[in-house]
Amino acid sequence: MSKQIWETRPLEIWGKAKELRANFQKAINEAAASPNSLLAHGNTGGVDWSVGFDGLNVVEDNPIGAIMASRSDSFSREARLASEIRGWGRELCGYVNNCWGCQFLGYDSPDGAPFPYRQLSVPLPDPCDQHAKRGQQCMDLSPIPRFGADWPMYLGPIDPERESALVEHKVQCILHVINEIERIFGKKYDDEKLFNVLDIVPRVQVLVTKIAQLMANVPAPLGLKELYSFYTLSVLTKIDPQEMLDFWKAFVDEVQWRVDNKIAAVATERYRWMEAHPSPWHFLRYFRYMEQYGAVCIGSQYSHMLVEPFKLNDDGTIGREEQVKVPEGQKIRTREDALRSIFREARGERFKDDEYFRKHVITDFAKAFHVDGAIMPLWRAGVGCTLTRKEQGLRLSEMGVRVLHYEGAQPGDRTDLDEHDFLDRLDIWMESQGLEKLA
Amino acid sequence: MKTFKEILENRHAYAKDWKARTGGKVLGFYDTYFPEEVAYAAGLLPLRLLASHCEDALTDRLMYGNCYCTRDIFNQFMLGRYDYVDGLVSIESCQWWYNAFDTTLIEFPELWSHYLFTTDYVDARTSKDAVFSELKIFVKRLEEWIGKTVTDEALDNAIDVYNKNRALLRQLYQLRRFDRTAVLGSEVMEIMLANQVMDKAEANVMLESLLPELEARAPQEDGVRLMLIGSETYDAKLEKLVESLGANIVTDELDNGTAYILNDVIPMKNRLMAIGLRYLGKPHSALKDNVWRRRPEHIYQLYEDFQADGVIIAKQIYCHPHGSDMYAVWKLLRERNIPYHTFERDTTLPYEETKLGVEALISMIKPGMTRLHGWSK
Repeated sequence: MSKQIWETRPLEIWGKAKELRANFQKAINEAAASPNSLLAHGNTGGVDWSVGFDGLNVVEDNPIGAIMASRSDSFSREARLASEIRGWGRELCGYVNNCWGCQFLGYDSPDGAPFPYRQLSVPLPDPCDQHAKRGQQCMDLSPIPRFGADWPMYLGPIDPERESALVEHKVQCILHVINEIERIFGKKYDDEKLFNVLDIVPRVQVLVTKIAQLMANVPAPLGLKELYSFYTLSVLTKIDPQEMLDFWKAFVDEVQWRVDNKIAAVATERYRWMEAHPSPWHFLRYFRYMEQYGAVCIGSQYSHMLVEPFKLNDDGTIGREEQVKVPEGQKIRTREDALRSIFREARGERFKDDEYFRKHVITDFAKAFHVDGAIMPLWRAGVGCTLTRKEQGLRLSEMGVRVLHYEGAQPGDRTDLDEHDFLDRLDIWMESQGLEKLA
Repeated sequence: MKTFKEILENRHAYAKDWKARTGGKVLGFYDTYFPEEVAYAAGLLPLRLLASHCEDALTDRLMYGNCYCTRDIFNQFMLGRYDYVDGLVSIESCQWWYNAFDTTLIEFPELWSHYLFTTDYVDARTSKDAVFSELKIFVKRLEEWIGKTVTDEALDNAIDVYNKNRALLRQLYQLRRFDRTAVLGSEVMEIMLANQVMDKAEANVMLESLLPELEARAPQEDGVRLMLIGSETYDAKLEKLVESLGANIVTDELDNGTAYILNDVIPMKNRLMAIGLRYLGKPHSALKDNVWRRRPEHIYQLYEDFQADGVIIAKQIYCHPHGSDMYAVWKLLRERNIPYHTFERDTTLPYEETKLGVEALISMIKPGMTRLHGWSK
C-alpha cells in the first residue's frame, strides 16, 4: 500500500509575524532610550488595560527569558549564574533567572545591548506562585513604583456568592494601578483606547478559536513549532489592537486555505500528539526529529491559550466556553465599566486555571484533536509548569492516550535536560507503539 | 499530664482521643494562613498537617517536583495515618500545598473539603473585603457540614482562646531573651509544633502550668545565640544539633514559629472581619510578601530583639517561595554584617553535613563575641 504524502509549504504570513515582533522590540528599545516613554514590568491578565497609556511598553520577564534560552546557551548560563550567586534559588523559573541575571549584568544579549530597565512594576497575578513573586526583582534593583493584583481562585462551578467580592477586588486593584500611574508619571489614560480593545479582543478570540479548530484536520495544517511563532502576538508581544486583528484575520485565511488544499505541516503525517505546557525553548529540534516518524504535534493548552477557557462542543470540536456576559444593552461609558466588563469572572481563563477547576480540559483537548499520544515534560523548576502534570498524564492514559514524560529544569533553563536521553526516549516511545522511522 | 513533646510524638493518638472525648470532627489544614478561629468556633479541631520523616513509595504516581513536606503529608494519608481526619481545607498559598490537597482528594474523595481564598496581594484596599466575603462563605459551608450555626458567642470564645494561646506562646519566646535565656530552642519548637495539633483550650491550660516552671529555671549559660529562618519545619532536630554544638536557637522567622503568634485578632463587632484582618496583618510568608519586601526588615527586627549573633537559613529543596526570597534576605544580612549559613533540607536532615556547616558558622562567630571572653564583664 502506498503511503500518503501530503504537500507542504512555508507559511506566507511568516514575514508579517516577524515584522510585528520586530516592531514590538523596536518600541521597547525606543522606550528605553526615550525620556517620555515608560517601561513597565508585568500586566494583570485578561484584556490588556495598559494599552490606554500612550508610550507605556510592557516588558515581562517572559518572553525575554525564553528568548535568551533559545538564542544563546552560554549567555543564558552567564545570566543565571549572576542571579544564583546573589541568592536566587535554583528551583526558580529559568525565565526569571535568565532575565534577572541580565539586570545584574546590565545587558540582555551576548552583543551587549542594554537591558530595558523597567520604571514601574505590576507583578502578574497568576495561579503560578512564581508569577506572583516575579515583579519584585525589578523593584529590588531600584526603588520604582510597584503595585499588585490578585488572581482569585476557588474550586467547583461558578459561585455567584463568591464572585461579587472577588470581582470587585480585581477591578479595584486595576483601577488603583491606572490612577497611580496617572498620578505618579503625569500620564493621561486614554479610556477610548481601552474601549476599542474591548471591542477587538472578542473578535480575535473568534479567530484564534477557528485556528484551533482547523488544527483538528488531517493533515494538520500547522505543527506546534509553527504555532509557537505566533501565539504570543497580542499576549506577551504587545501590538497595536487593529494590527492584531488584521494579522489574525489573515492568519485564519491562510490556515483555512492550507486545510482546503491539504497542505500539511508534516508530509508523512500518521501520528498526532499533544502537549500541555511549554517545550524546552532551546531544543525545539525534537519536533523535526519526530517528523521522521510521521508525527505531528497539534498543539497544547499553552499554545492555544488564547482560546481559553476550552469547551468540547457537542460535535466534538474544540470551542470557547461562554463567559459571563455584559448585560444586553449595557453601554460601557467609563473606565470602571470597562474594567468590570473585563473582569466578569473572578477566576481566570488561562490554561493554568484548568489544573484547579477545569480538570476535564486535558482529556477534552485530547478528544477534540484526536491525538494518539501526549508528551508531558516534568519541569523541576517553575511550579506552574509542573503542578498536576502527573495527574494529567494518568487521566490521559486512562482514556487510551499514550503518555511520555521527560525531565528537565524549566523551558528556559537548559541545565538539566539531557537532550540525547530525550531523543532516546522518543525512539523507545514511538517504537513501543509500533512505529519506526520512515525511510 | 502529658508533655508537649509526648503529644507531638503521638499526635495522631491525641487527635483520635480528642474525637472520642468530644465527638467532634477533625479539620486538617496545610498553612498557617488558615483562620483556625473559625473552625474552632464551629466545634472542630483545626489540625495542622505536619510532615514526618518516613519512606515514600507512593507519592511519585501523582506528584513531581514537590517539596518533601507536601509529599510526606500526602504519603501519610496514603499510609492511613490521617484516617481520623474528616475534612480538609486548602488556603490560597504555596502551590505545593494546593497539590497536596488536590492529590489527597483524588485518593480520598469522601473527605469534606473547601478551598479558601485569601488574597496573595495582601496590601490592596479591597483585600479585607475579599477575605471577609470568603470567610462568610466558609462559615456557611461549615454550618452545612456540621449541621449547626456558628454563633457570635462561639466566635468570641474562639478569638479569646486563640489570642490567649498566642500570648502564652509569646511569653514562651520571651524566655529566650538575651538577659535571661531559660529555655532551649528545641524545647520551644516542640511546644510550638505540638500546640498546632492541639485543642487550644487544652494547650492553654498546659502552657499556663508550664510557663512558671520554665521561668523559675536557672538561666542557661551564655553561648552563641542563633536565629532560624527559612521553610517550615516539623521537628526540633536542627535545634538539637545546634545545642549539641554549644549554641542555641533563640528566635525564628518560620511560618510555624513566630509568624504563628506575633499578632492577635483585635476584637470587633464584625467578628469575621476582625479575624480576616489578623491574617492579612500577620508577619507575611515569603509568598505573600510579594510587593513591598517587608519580610527582610521583619527578620532583622526579630534578630535585634532577641540579640542573636548569627542566622541559620534552612530552606526546603523545591521551596520556590523561599527560593525567590533568599536574594533579599541574603542582601540584608550581608549589608548588616550578620553572619549566616544557608543549607537545604530534604526528607531528612543530613546530620554530619549540617553539623559541619553549623560548626563553621559558630566558629566564625565565636572569636568576635567579646562577652563570651569575659571582656565585657
